[in-house]
Amino acid sequence: MTKKVFVIDIKKCNGCHACQIVCKDEHVGNDWSPIAKPQPDAGQFWMELTERVRGTVPKVKVAYRPHMCMHCDNAPCIEACPVEGAIYKREDGLVIIDSVKCSGCRNCLDVCPYDAIFYNDDLNLAQKCTGCAHLLDDGWVEPRCADACPTGALKFMDEDEAKKLISKAEVWKPELKKQVKPRVYYLNLPGRFIAGTVYDPKAKEVIIGADCALTDAATGKTYNIKTDNYGDFWFEGLGKGEYSLQIVAGKKKETFKKLDTTLEDINLGDIAL
Amino acid sequence: MASRKTKDKTVIRALGLGGLLGGSSEGLVDVKDGKIVRVRPFHYDWKYKKEDIKTWKMERNGKVFEQPWKSLPGPFSLAYKKRVYSPNRIKFPMKRVDWDPDGERNPQNRGKSKYVRITWDEATDILAKEIKRIHKAYGPYGILVQGDGHGECMTIHTPHGHSGSLLDKMGGFTQQVRNPDSWEGWYWGSKHVWGQGIQGGMFPAGNIVKDTTEHAEMVLFWGCDPETTPWGFTGQMPSRLTYFWKDAGIDQVYICPDVNYGCAVHADKWIPVLPNTDAALQLAIAYTWIKEGTYNKEYVKTHVVGFDKFKAYVMGEEEDDVPKTPEWASKKCGVPEWTIKALARQFARKVTSIAHYFGGGYVRGPFSHEPGRLEVCLLGMQGLGGPGRHHHQITYFGLPRSNGLSGTFFWNPDLADRLRTPSLTTINAWQKQLIPKTYIHDAIEANEPMTFYGSGAIEVDTTDQFKKYVYPLPKKEGGTEIHMIWSDTPCRTTCWNNGNATELALRNPKIECIVTQHPWMENDTLFSDIILPSNTHMEVGDIVSSIRGGTSIPNVALCDQAIEPVGESKSNFEVVLEVAKKLGMEKAMTGGKTDEDLKKEMFTNMRLDKLTTWKEFREKGYYLYSVADDWEDDSPGLRKFYDDPEKNPLPTPTGKLEFYSEALAKNFPHDRERPPVPKWIEKGPTHDERLSSERAKMFPLILMSNHGRWRVHAQADDIPWTREAPTCKIRGWDGYMYEPCWIHPSEALERGIKHGDIVKVFNERGIVLAGAYVTERIRPNVAYMDHGARVDMIKVGEIDRGGAINTISGSGTSSRNAVGQATTAYLVQVERLSMEEMDRWRREYPEAFEREYDPASGLCVNAWLEGGEK
Repeated sequence: MTKKVFVIDIKKCNGCHACQIVCKDEHVGNDWSPIAKPQPDAGQFWMELTERVRGTVPKVKVAYRPHMCMHCDNAPCIEACPVEGAIYKREDGLVIIDSVKCSGCRNCLDVCPYDAIFYNDDLNLAQKCTGCAHLLDDGWVEPRCADACPTGALKFMDEDEAKKLISKAEVWKPELKKQVKPRVYYLNLPGRFIAGTVYDPKAKEVIIGADCALTDAATGKTYNIKTDNYGDFWFEGLGKGEYSLQIVAGKKKETFKKLDTTLEDINLGDIAL
Repeated sequence: MASRKTKDKTVIRALGLGGLLGGSSEGLVDVKDGKIVRVRPFHYDWKYKKEDIKTWKMERNGKVFEQPWKSLPGPFSLAYKKRVYSPNRIKFPMKRVDWDPDGERNPQNRGKSKYVRITWDEATDILAKEIKRIHKAYGPYGILVQGDGHGECMTIHTPHGHSGSLLDKMGGFTQQVRNPDSWEGWYWGSKHVWGQGIQGGMFPAGNIVKDTTEHAEMVLFWGCDPETTPWGFTGQMPSRLTYFWKDAGIDQVYICPDVNYGCAVHADKWIPVLPNTDAALQLAIAYTWIKEGTYNKEYVKTHVVGFDKFKAYVMGEEEDDVPKTPEWASKKCGVPEWTIKALARQFARKVTSIAHYFGGGYVRGPFSHEPGRLEVCLLGMQGLGGPGRHHHQITYFGLPRSNGLSGTFFWNPDLADRLRTPSLTTINAWQKQLIPKTYIHDAIEANEPMTFYGSGAIEVDTTDQFKKYVYPLPKKEGGTEIHMIWSDTPCRTTCWNNGNATELALRNPKIECIVTQHPWMENDTLFSDIILPSNTHMEVGDIVSSIRGGTSIPNVALCDQAIEPVGESKSNFEVVLEVAKKLGMEKAMTGGKTDEDLKKEMFTNMRLDKLTTWKEFREKGYYLYSVADDWEDDSPGLRKFYDDPEKNPLPTPTGKLEFYSEALAKNFPHDRERPPVPKWIEKGPTHDERLSSERAKMFPLILMSNHGRWRVHAQADDIPWTREAPTCKIRGWDGYMYEPCWIHPSEALERGIKHGDIVKVFNERGIVLAGAYVTERIRPNVAYMDHGARVDMIKVGEIDRGGAINTISGSGTSSRNAVGQATTAYLVQVERLSMEEMDRWRREYPEAFEREYDPASGLCVNAWLEGGEK
């Protein structure tokens, strides 16, 4: 059997929540045991679309990310499970909590580094994404979330076929990559941005083509861009850390020091030069 | 691994919620053990081979855009089974407990008193008797039919207007005329610049997607959210198109007060304009172009009339006028002067189209016809109709033409009477006594005849706007005030203007009987005397064409019944048929035809008999249209007018783009709210809702409202799964799920409001409770709420807990002589709700807090049933 991976392109995720909704459509009120017993009507997210608003008015973007069981190859949940075969890895790579064998001990919830396992209080069960294994076994080529994704951002692929994409992708919590070996890959996860608009307060005009030089304090590396036709500069895909920025237009100059992107993106607003 | 049974059968559905004899946003519904087990996108190759269907593609800069082989429904479509089995479903006929048709009617208790279960036989007996009584006492126009608007996609069992069909056969009725509720500004404005259009929008608009793809360098999403409004109608094709445009290098600029959902993911530039101040921004752009000589002077010379008058106004050459400079505009619209100039120059430099998908915030505020007209003027100044210069309702119009498609759009004259008639209430003013939907509450309360210009019907000719109407008609023409209401579209309170006034008007003793047929116990239904349970499209079979633009592959499908009706519910047609039986009108209603007869008739009306056979269609269950062989030759948009305006005149009086409308000048010489040249209107007799108003001292925020992300107007407010999205509902400290009110952190800080607080949004017209959504996605000076949340009255006509923001929108129409709705951009204040105030309300209005409520899905029918569900 070919091994499967999820490849999620964040750049193409429009935040529609279809993945999250159809997961519920498939599992709430439907019993697919031993792959999965019904999911509670509300409060559980075997597939969860997360969102984060970045920046401040008027430099604002929204970052969405579908979050789910990462179907790890070294799944801590399998190791922590005291019941033989209650959590197992299928040949296609999907990790399943057997809804009949699960004893409800909660060990797996404690060890999952991705908080992707939920506890069903009514059924005394640990539950999570199954990759819609019951549908795959019935001839489906992809789980509900991938089927419902309108833009092709979320894909369920043969690992071999996805190799090229995987080489450019990241996993969630990269520090765990070697240890747990997740099978969900993200493309184009956004970094931080530093942005602003440069204008001439006397002429009341934006300044087009101002030289903006951003220096990473940690590495000393400098990035150079020019302001666009709106007087805007956007440094995107930055890491978390300290930066300094110098803006030069003709004889005018402005410097910003200690721009710290650790916690958030930075909009410097409309800068009079 | 052994496979298990994951379904018993699969049926096709059009999951859009636009209705009107047309579908889209199709899906497949899997059914198991008589229940809906899942709803999923429609893969068109289910029973067709891909190679049998000819498809289109478009290219730009090496990037290719093709038709997806699956439908792209929005999330509420995919969650529709929760609507079908909602705890808010009405399962049997009901009568208001203190409404006695033979005694006390207690109209003052509408919206307050509960209901008892009655039988279909009892309900239809009462109704037949009431109809006869009203006809005898007042004449047929004594009954108002509210039978219009959006809804589920069906043809034979279409959700609206069957009561109109019945009453039309019995001497007529008073028609509530559906106004162009999502495109007021183009209807009341743009039509006077470029002529009739389709519903006021640019027309012809064929093939403009390809032309913009190939030639545009920039698209302005002006008050447009391609990631919201299209969901309810055709799904998510605009999302794919805008991603493609980005890949192809077409700049996307969002001009709107909020980081709407399209702006959140697609914008190269966000220009946060104050709500309903676009006219100032537009005038400053025109000013910049005129001053810098960067408009298409040749085009203006040959294609425009009245440019001199327009120019004089823009440049401040008229006696009492100031030049509409960026500096002037900046103070009105809140966009920095330098950014206005930069935008104006980009617009002049780059080949630019403007995109909308109908709208909310931009096009239906006070005086919405002014930005509607000015937008056409700007496009006109840059050569509207030229390569890459169009006005889009994005993908709704302008996708490639299908082969052999003849249309079941509601104006298709070939449709059989029973198929066509119900939807007439939605598109035409076809009765004699009319009330524009925006005036319903005023008409009920009026003691003198009302006059107004234009019926507001969405398909009538521009000249209708100059026609004077009166309600009620003179007695000799059968005129009478209305005394009964029959509604199948009970969302007037939450989706139209001044819902609070509407709630109170529905208690007027003049209205002796209100009957509502609806699947859910919500909104105006709560003000009814008799309630008839209609069912959803899952419970009835039909034939539906999904040919609205934006469908991945246009098609017609047989939508076989998915499940048995819930409770004693019947389709909206069957509901009316039950009443017709008691009136001896059964045969007249059915025309002796069965559903199967009508499906075949529809098949023929669509000319599908020229493309396939009924047998094959029946077997496959659907027909897929190929793209027309010669689609690439179709002239895009107004290209012919662009090429030769003399030979291809516009449908305006002069045949040109009218920057000055002689017709408006002649018909409304004293109208300062919609003058012959489009202008900036600070305030007028109809509205005083700007930050410059005296009222802004008390109500300092502009309330902006767009179509809902998680609803289609009032539809789909009860889905537990969408309600879990962070922008759908906010759980208050009392456990109630509140409608979010977006507010900027600076405004929140000033008011001591924290994210998640229960807040009251209010003005003189009432109070709406909401959950504070403190975010950088909205600019300062603005409070933002989606319209269409279900009303949940704490005090009828005054305090709403459900978040139905239109309850406090203004009563006034678009302007004095335009009967559109103005349900965005009005003044409010937002304050944190104290526990003391909530407690006081709990004491004063205990029944509102004692009603059964389910936080997951919201309101419950049990709340309104005496003794709960039996």
